[in-house]
Amino acid sequence: MNGRDDFDPQLLELRRGTIVLACLHLLRHAGYGYGLLEDLARHGFAADANTLYPLLRRLEKQGYLTSEWNTEETRPRKFYLTSASGLRLADTLTTEWAALTGAIASLTHGRTE
Amino acid sequence: MTATLTDRYISATVRTLPQDAQADVRAELSASIADDIEARLDQGEVRQDAERAVLTALGDPDVLAASYADRPLQLIGPRYYLTWWRLLKLLWAIVPVTAVVGVLIAQLIADAPIAETIGTLVSVAIGTIVHVGFWTTLVFIILERTGADTGERWTLDALPDPQETGAGRGDLIASLAFLGLAAGALLWDRSIGFVLVAENGVDIGVGLGSQTTAMPVLNAELWPWWLGGMLILIAFEAALAIAVYARHGWNTGFAWLNTALAIVFSTVILHLLITSQLFNPEFVDYTLDRGDVPPEVGRILAILLGAGVVGVSAWNAIDGWLKSRRSVAH
Repeated sequence: MNGRDDFDPQLLELRRGTIVLACLHLLRHAGYGYGLLEDLARHGFAADANTLYPLLRRLEKQGYLTSEWNTEETRPRKFYLTSASGLRLADTLTTEWAALTGAIASLTHGRTE
Repeated sequence: MTATLTDRYISATVRTLPQDAQADVRAELSASIADDIEARLDQGEVRQDAERAVLTALGDPDVLAASYADRPLQLIGPRYYLTWWRLLKLLWAIVPVTAVVGVLIAQLIADAPIAETIGTLVSVAIGTIVHVGFWTTLVFIILERTGADTGERWTLDALPDPQETGAGRGDLIASLAFLGLAAGALLWDRSIGFVLVAENGVDIGVGLGSQTTAMPVLNAELWPWWLGGMLILIAFEAALAIAVYARHGWNTGFAWLNTALAIVFSTVILHLLITSQLFNPEFVDYTLDRGDVPPEVGRILAILLGAGVVGVSAWNAIDGWLKSRRSVAH
C-alpha cells in the first residue's frame, strides 16, 4: 500500500533544515553555488539548485555567511564562507541533531528490548 | 545575436528583484547555470539538451525570484488567515443586511415602483457582499506583504462562551412575563384604552381620570376575531415556551412551530396595517390629522412599523433555529 512516494512529504519534512546545517559546516572552507551543490550531493544531502541558491543569499543576509567575488578564474564566482555567528549556529544545530539522534535511538532501542 | 535561453531565464528571474540585488543575482545565477551545464557537457550531453535540462530543473523563474526576495506565494498566509476570515464573516453578517434593510425602508418611503425596489435591493445586496469581501481581503493582502501586526493574540478569554440553550428557567419566566404583558395590554386597550385625551388643558389640581377620556389605540372592529386570534397566537407562544422548558431545549419541531407563529403574526399585522384596519380611526385622526402634520408622516410611520414587525419576527424565527442547532450540537 504505502510505496515510497507516499512517504515523500514526511521525508521532506524531516530533512528540512538539515541543508542549512550542512551548508554551515561545508562552508567553513569557502565555496560557491554549484560546487556546494555537488558537495552536498556527495555527502548525501539531496538539495535542489532552486532552493540552495536563494538559501545561501538568505543566510548571508542573516549574517551566518559572508561572501566575496572571486574574479581570478575564467568564470567569476561568488564564494561564501561561514561567519563567526554562522559557526555558533552550526554548533547549536549540531548539538540539537545529536540530541535528536539519541532520542530516536532511545525510542527504537526501547521497542526492540 | 538572439538571446540564449539562459539569458532569457535569468532576465525573467531578476526582473522582479529589488534593484540593488539584480546585478549580483544575475552574475551569480549565470555562473551557477554555466557550471551546471559544463558538468553535464563533461558527462557527454549535447549543449542544447544540457541547457534545457538545467533551466527546467530550476523551475518557474517567478518562483525562484520569490524565493530570492523572500516574497510570500500566497494571498493571505496562516499568520493572517483566521483574523481575515473571522472579520469577513462578521462584516458579511452585518453590513449587507443593514444596507438592504436601510435601502428597503428608503425605497418604500419614496414609494418607488416594486420592480425598481427589487432590482435595487438585489444589486445593493450583491454590491455590499462583493465590496466588503474585496476591500477586507485587499487590506489583508497588504498586511501579508508588509508584515504588519494585527495585534490579535489568542488568549483563554477568547474561548466561546458556553452558549445559551434558551431553555432555562430564566428564559421561561421572561417569555411568559412578556407574553402576559402583551395579552394584558391588548385587553386593556380593548376595554379601557391606552391614550388619555383631555378636551381642554390638564388641571393638575384635579384627578387625571375625571378630566380625560381614554381612547383605544387599536381598531375596535378587530374585536372579537382578529384580537381573539392574536390572543390565541400569544397562547401558542406561551405553550411553546413551556414546551421548550419542559423538553430542556429547542428542537427542529419547535423551531418550525416558532417560525410558523412568527410568519402568521407578521402577516396578520402587515395585512391589518396595509388595509388601515390596525389602528383606531379616532386615534389616527387625533394624532396625525391635526392640520400641522404632513400627510406622508402616517405612511412613513406605517412603513417603519411594518419593517420593525417583520424584522423582529424574522429575528425571532432565526433565533429559534440557532437555538435548536446549538442544542443538537450539545
